[in-house]
Amino acid sequence: MPATVTSISPRHVPSPVSSRVPEPPRRPFRDNPRLILLGIGALVAVLVALLFLASGTSRFSPDFLSEFVLYALSAADLTMLAALVFVLARNIVKLVVERRTALPFARFRSKLVALLLGMTLVPAVLVLIVGSELIRTNIDRWFNAPMDDILASANQIAGDYYQDQQMLATDHATRLARLLSTVDLTSADVRPIRDVLAPDITLQRVQMVEVYRVVPSTGSLPRLESVVDVAAPTLQPGHSRAAVDRLAAQALGGSSDTRSIETLGTGGDLLHAAAVVKGTDGEAKGVVVATAYLTGDLAARSRRLTQAFESYNQLRVLKRPLTGLYLSFFLMVTLLILFGATWMGSYLAKRITRPVLMLSAAAREIGAGRLDQRVEPQSNDEFGSLVEAFNAMATELATSRRRVDRGTVDLERKHVEVEARRRYIETILERITTGVVSVDAAGAITTINSAAARLLGLQRQIVGQAAVGVFDRTDLQPLRALLAGSGPAKAEPAAQEIALAHDGQERHLAAVATALVGETGVPEGVVLVLDDVTPLIRAQKVAAWREVARRLAHEIKNPLTPIQLSAERLRRHFSNAPPQAKALVEECSATIIGEVESLKGLVDEFSQFARMPSPRTVPTDLPQLVTDTIALYNGIFTDVRIDQRFAPGAPLVRLDPEQIRRVIINLVDNAIEAMERRGHLVVATEFDSGNNIIHLVVADDGPGIPPAEREKLFLPYYSTKRRGSGLGLAIVRRIIAEHGGSIDVGDNTPRGTRFTIELPC
Amino acid sequence: MTPSSSILRAVAIVVALAVVASADTVAPDLRVTPIERDGQVLVSFDLNDGFTPDVRDAIQSGLSTSFSYEVELRRGAPLFDRTLAAVSIIATVHFDNLTRRYQMSRSLDGRVEDARPTDDQDSVRGWMTHFERVPLSMTSALEANTEYYVRVRAHTRPHSGWFFWPWGGIALGLAKFTFIQ
Repeated sequence: MPATVTSISPRHVPSPVSSRVPEPPRRPFRDNPRLILLGIGALVAVLVALLFLASGTSRFSPDFLSEFVLYALSAADLTMLAALVFVLARNIVKLVVERRTALPFARFRSKLVALLLGMTLVPAVLVLIVGSELIRTNIDRWFNAPMDDILASANQIAGDYYQDQQMLATDHATRLARLLSTVDLTSADVRPIRDVLAPDITLQRVQMVEVYRVVPSTGSLPRLESVVDVAAPTLQPGHSRAAVDRLAAQALGGSSDTRSIETLGTGGDLLHAAAVVKGTDGEAKGVVVATAYLTGDLAARSRRLTQAFESYNQLRVLKRPLTGLYLSFFLMVTLLILFGATWMGSYLAKRITRPVLMLSAAAREIGAGRLDQRVEPQSNDEFGSLVEAFNAMATELATSRRRVDRGTVDLERKHVEVEARRRYIETILERITTGVVSVDAAGAITTINSAAARLLGLQRQIVGQAAVGVFDRTDLQPLRALLAGSGPAKAEPAAQEIALAHDGQERHLAAVATALVGETGVPEGVVLVLDDVTPLIRAQKVAAWREVARRLAHEIKNPLTPIQLSAERLRRHFSNAPPQAKALVEECSATIIGEVESLKGLVDEFSQFARMPSPRTVPTDLPQLVTDTIALYNGIFTDVRIDQRFAPGAPLVRLDPEQIRRVIINLVDNAIEAMERRGHLVVATEFDSGNNIIHLVVADDGPGIPPAEREKLFLPYYSTKRRGSGLGLAIVRRIIAEHGGSIDVGDNTPRGTRFTIELPC
Repeated sequence: MTPSSSILRAVAIVVALAVVASADTVAPDLRVTPIERDGQVLVSFDLNDGFTPDVRDAIQSGLSTSFSYEVELRRGAPLFDRTLAAVSIIATVHFDNLTRRYQMSRSLDGRVEDARPTDDQDSVRGWMTHFERVPLSMTSALEANTEYYVRVRAHTRPHSGWFFWPWGGIALGLAKFTFIQ
């Protein structure tokens, strides 16, 4: 019936300790059938010994029973009672504790113990009461008046007979002592003494007479000396001479006890009586000891009568302890039964509930996820079948769990792969300059990468908002229309160029809206891909302008020299002409030559713009380059304050120092010109470590540039100044573009214009 | 309260009741008189009412009946009193219903000191219950001007005890004295 829990496969083990069902502690006695059988055997042996002792009480003396057995039994009873009280109290306390802690089967165990105890207690106590009453009644019946009378009378008869014989012996001794008072005890002739004694012996009055005479001794008490002893021929041999001598000396000493009894075993009893022989002067001169004889049969019968009387009276005296003795027997048996019943109830309850408890514990362990728990059956009964079924269920659960675990592992692996792919795509989307916006089937924006946010001027917090609402902004409405026109019908959607004007800047985007269609053909949303084609368009424009410049330079520069030569020839030809004509010619030729020179300068600038070389980049300390460049303005513009602010820790930038110096000069010149040579100018660098980009900022506090004109600033031949070719900022943009960077213009705070150049490090 | 403590309490109550019950059976009065003579502490004691009808019946039934006395010279101490000297005396009597004579004996510390027969029951009473000048200790073992006491415990055998608690029947006598030198 007992069962143990073992772990057969250490899978999913959080910790070695918690993987096992807490096995109830095995007790060396309770879990050992041999010891249990031995204990039961010992109990039975004790009961048998008690039965033997109880049946043999008649053989033991009442004294032994009341003095030894009763004490031992009472001590054993008290011990048993204490043990029983202890077991009961322990069970009660355990019951209370187990009920408070809601331990399983506590109520069942207590009920079983109480049931067995109750079933045993009632009959045991009844038997104890009835048995005790029977014992007391039977013991009372031992003693009754007729028996008292019979035994007392018998004892009286025997005692009286002994008394009479002793009295006779005493009388004979006294009479003989009186007769011998006139006889000389000191004489060597003992015939007179024999003559006095002979009739008593002959007539069987006494069986033996011993005469002593007093012998004076100096310095000590007088001593006795045997004079003569006369015995009847029928006297049994074996009597003790010393007993007679001692009695004679005792009588001479004046003791009142002048009688003694000498037992000859089966030969009978000798009753000695002594009397002092006194002379005529009253002095003790001897002692006579007369001995009567009681035959063996008579003495034995007398003793048996007395012994019967004494035994009877001893039982009466020891009636109370003997009653207690027998009651102790009963009580001990009752206590043994009660103790055994209590213990057996507790033992059976535990034996029954233990496998169930272990099943419960194993079920809790399995419920906690430790499916490797098993309960080891140790019996073939119903509990064994239950344990087998439980183990089969646990095995099936473990198999299912392993399948689920394998599926979970596969799923997790796929999830990791998908997650990696998602991160890969997300990284790409974050790093590419192409903007990507995805919209789900419900029209809500699901993703927007940083490029798209930057291109469209949106915050990334718009994720989750409706695309219609987000793209409702004026400049973004073309995208709204594009999204509305997208659909699964278009297999190859064509790119559409859209110009967005935001913060005074015009940005050209190539937008493609691609519908996402699921495997079942259901539309799942739209992906909007945006490419910034503004630099491309700008480059195309610059290229066109360069071609124009090149052609202009070629077409204009060629006729300029003949025009100039012709004008000089006319001036030389009319050098001798009348003053009026000469003055006119001089004036006209000077104008022509001056304009031709001006046109040549303009054509040179065009040529330079058209033939600008590619930058020769070297790692350059941009702050130092700025400082060197700004140093050129020292002392020139007294009303202009130029501040330089450089970001710390900026790396070297790969650039063409001469071209960038030209850029800085151009921007600073423009700023000073815009401030009308009076104001505050800031030239600063800012380092964006995240994107590894360095910004060069030139900010003035001049009047500023209207937003509508900002984009035109970088077009060739556009100038707000009265002088100039309008190529300066166009050249600046081209240089920056050749370096892979960009330039933007915006408002300065609180006033003025702010040019920001972005260069890759 | 733990189970063990409750059980201990129950056992203590049972023991206390038993002690009270046994003390209740100490009916006889034991008078003790210590005296100092010739450099010795001598003790006289008398077990009044010790010769009860039960004892008399036991003697008359032929049971060998004995009175055991444990005489102790003790000195008080803060925790446990100290026993300085002790003597064990057993007085035994056996009555022969056939000859109607009593055979008496006395032993001191297991050594038979005296034995004699008698026909007189009063002699038996005195033999069993009255003791004169039993030497207990030398006064040289005592400290001057110090209080001592002599305790005598008497036990009768056979004892007609009660069922379930046969122990008892002990008479106790005590006498204090101050040894002045």
